[in-house]
Amino acid sequence: MPMKGRFPIRRTLEYLQKGDIVFKNRVKIMTVNYNTSGELSDGARKFVFFNIPQIQYKNQWLQIMMFKNMTPSPFLKFYLDDGEQVLVDMEGKDYKQISLHVKKILGKSEEVLQAEAQAKMQASNPANFGPRKYCLRECICEVEGQVPCPGTTPLPKEMTGKHRTRMAAAAAQE
Amino acid sequence: MLQAVGGRSVQATRLLAGRRAVLVEAVRGRKSRTDTVAKSKQGRIKVPPPVDPTEMVVLKERYAEYEMITRALRLEFKEEVLRKKYEEETGSMAEERSRQEAEEHRALMAFNDQENLRLLQRRVLRIQMEKEEAERKQVEAVLQREEQQQEFIKEKEREILKLQEDAKNFITLENLDQRIEEALDSPKNYNFAIDKEGRVVKQTMLQ
Repeated sequence: MPMKGRFPIRRTLEYLQKGDIVFKNRVKIMTVNYNTSGELSDGARKFVFFNIPQIQYKNQWLQIMMFKNMTPSPFLKFYLDDGEQVLVDMEGKDYKQISLHVKKILGKSEEVLQAEAQAKMQASNPANFGPRKYCLRECICEVEGQVPCPGTTPLPKEMTGKHRTRMAAAAAQE
Repeated sequence: MLQAVGGRSVQATRLLAGRRAVLVEAVRGRKSRTDTVAKSKQGRIKVPPPVDPTEMVVLKERYAEYEMITRALRLEFKEEVLRKKYEEETGSMAEERSRQEAEEHRALMAFNDQENLRLLQRRVLRIQMEKEEAERKQVEAVLQREEQQQEFIKEKEREILKLQEDAKNFITLENLDQRIEEALDSPKNYNFAIDKEGRVVKQTMLQ
């Protein structure tokens, strides 16, 4: 039973990674008030159904709360870390419009995202060897196609230092 | 250079003094204190490797220089990192950037407020229209009910009139004899014939 729910594509990693709303660091809490019935709340319902998983995936530390059937009209409220509250009315809008609007007012812009990605790439150079916390690999023996770790399989005689020194000594003697 | 040589010579003489007299203690390393000494190592006296004084002096000089350089480089890099971090947080660019961000934020908030206002106006209009619609429906309903009542009354009146009309033809005690006579005098023939085409024929023989 691999597929669960009405639109199981929402549960795939590919779909979640496609989400493009990354909020600024100042946004801490997001509250969604919407109704379960009614034409005006339709866009809000679709937004909650399709876009909220993507947003939570991209903003793991953002607290998102949903309230149903508390007010006659649907809206979003964002609480920033300096106490400011941003109200976004969702009445009668389409879910795509809502997500574009939200991205415009409180999302990180494309340049900022790209700069961050660049910085991350520069910080983590795959050519570095070291502790797992900072680098990809610890030793060249971990790479496919390289000499395996002498700790697990003994090296062939010709590659050991002992043999090499003995050979060099024998050659020097002659 | 002379001062450096002076310093180094003291250490060299100290090394030369007890060359063969110095004994390195038996460090067990991998083995514990209860393990016996290996057969091949019985009677072995460990002696540190021989040191050439001139080589030692030269090496010490070079090592000192090398370590000084590497230490200086290391500190330089550390300082650079710290300076970058400081600049990032409390530099002139940071203030500029934060000011710009605040500006942008304000502009976006203004845009959002405009959008909210627009939606608010739309909502107000919609509510007004709905209210008018409801009022109109109310008035219509009242009218409808009025009409229905009037119809009802009219219907009832018509029935009364019809009954009054019919009352004229009723058979009462006075008319009884007369009506019996009339009925007996005029026999009514209810028979009829019908052919395949559906034509009704009422002229049949009374028996």
